[in-house]
Amino acid sequence: MRFILSFLFVVTVIPALKAQTPAPATSTTPAGNAQNGKKIFSNYGCYQCHGFEAQGGAGARLAPRPIAFTAFSKYVRQPTGEMPPYTSRVVSDKELADIYAFLQSIPQPPPASSIPLLSK
Amino acid sequence: MADFWGTVNNLRDQLVRSSRALTKKDAKLVSISSNDLYLKSNYQDFQRYTEVDLAIAADVEATLPSLIEASKRLVTADRKRVFEERGKKFAAAHAQALEQARTTATYAWDASPISTARLSAELWEVIKDKDWASVGGGAGRLWNVEKQYQTLLGGGAAGVGSGLPTSVGAALAHRKYGRFCVSIQNDGDFMYAPGAIWTAAHHRIPLLSVMHNNRAYHQEVMHIQRMSNRHQRGITNAGIGTKIEDPNVNYAMIARGMGIYAEGPITDPKDLGPALRRAADAVMRGEMALVDVVTQPR
Repeated sequence: MRFILSFLFVVTVIPALKAQTPAPATSTTPAGNAQNGKKIFSNYGCYQCHGFEAQGGAGARLAPRPIAFTAFSKYVRQPTGEMPPYTSRVVSDKELADIYAFLQSIPQPPPASSIPLLSK
Repeated sequence: MADFWGTVNNLRDQLVRSSRALTKKDAKLVSISSNDLYLKSNYQDFQRYTEVDLAIAADVEATLPSLIEASKRLVTADRKRVFEERGKKFAAAHAQALEQARTTATYAWDASPISTARLSAELWEVIKDKDWASVGGGAGRLWNVEKQYQTLLGGGAAGVGSGLPTSVGAALAHRKYGRFCVSIQNDGDFMYAPGAIWTAAHHRIPLLSVMHNNRAYHQEVMHIQRMSNRHQRGITNAGIGTKIEDPNVNYAMIARGMGIYAEGPITDPKDLGPALRRAADAVMRGEMALVDVVTQPR
């Protein structure tokens, strides 16, 4: 049995993970497998706080447009809020990259004005 | 606290639990509430002590109209202008918050499991033109609450199991006024006292109960995960006794077995609106109806 992450957990007060800042692909963003990242996101329980689409819930919204990978990784490893830290022994760098790729793959939603129930 | 005992007894569930006064130092606080009557009732409700100068155990609904009128007579022209300015600020803040809520609701709008924001918006569409009252669950910012009877406060202790019987009881209280009662019913809560459905069927209590079915005692899931992580145990076993799956519960089947109209489980958001409208029709006929909606965790 491995130690698992609900790592994006308990981020109710984490300005750093507000997913407000676009994250352009940079040389510091490792290549990841979005499909595997989605699987990990669900299997490891990240969705419990952040929702299956990383849209937020008890925890912060993480996507679309996740924060830059460097900040994302730093926060997961050394969070400043209530979220427990997840070391690379618990969540490997490869798994973290896969999850980040999943977050990057989530498209921008349509504007509220285009959804009849939200535009009234 | 290097030893085991010291560690266990110094570990807090929440890292911070603080409060701060929002009133001026010389302000007198008076409460009018039926909460103080709970101290002698069968069901008691003790929470953090609220320090007030005068606690009046009374019926708020009966008291407020005359109290408001008495307060208005004391308002000077200057104060009235202040209130009006403050009202404009509140209105602007409300409009801004509603706009933000609508934007937030777009995320995972078409997702399955269905987002709680989608559920809230679809349900609002069904009830907004009725004389409605929420008898359970949070409506959120997408609903426009204008009357005092349209909301029902929670049990106070965030206890699990009171939601369904409370909603049936509240719907009974609303019945004589002909109000359309609706509740957002958590699945974990439902598991404690589902017999309340039979009570509603037997006594012909109209109520639309919409299941927020995230297939878990979810507040427990998050708590166990949090504590497991804090203890560096990992979360592998956090689902034991906290998730309600394998098998998934068919709440509509349970409800139909107790004699009420029911649909679900609804997993496609496109199916939700029509299902709610059909269930609402049953409620308008004077029955309880249940729609089981498989939802995002929160």
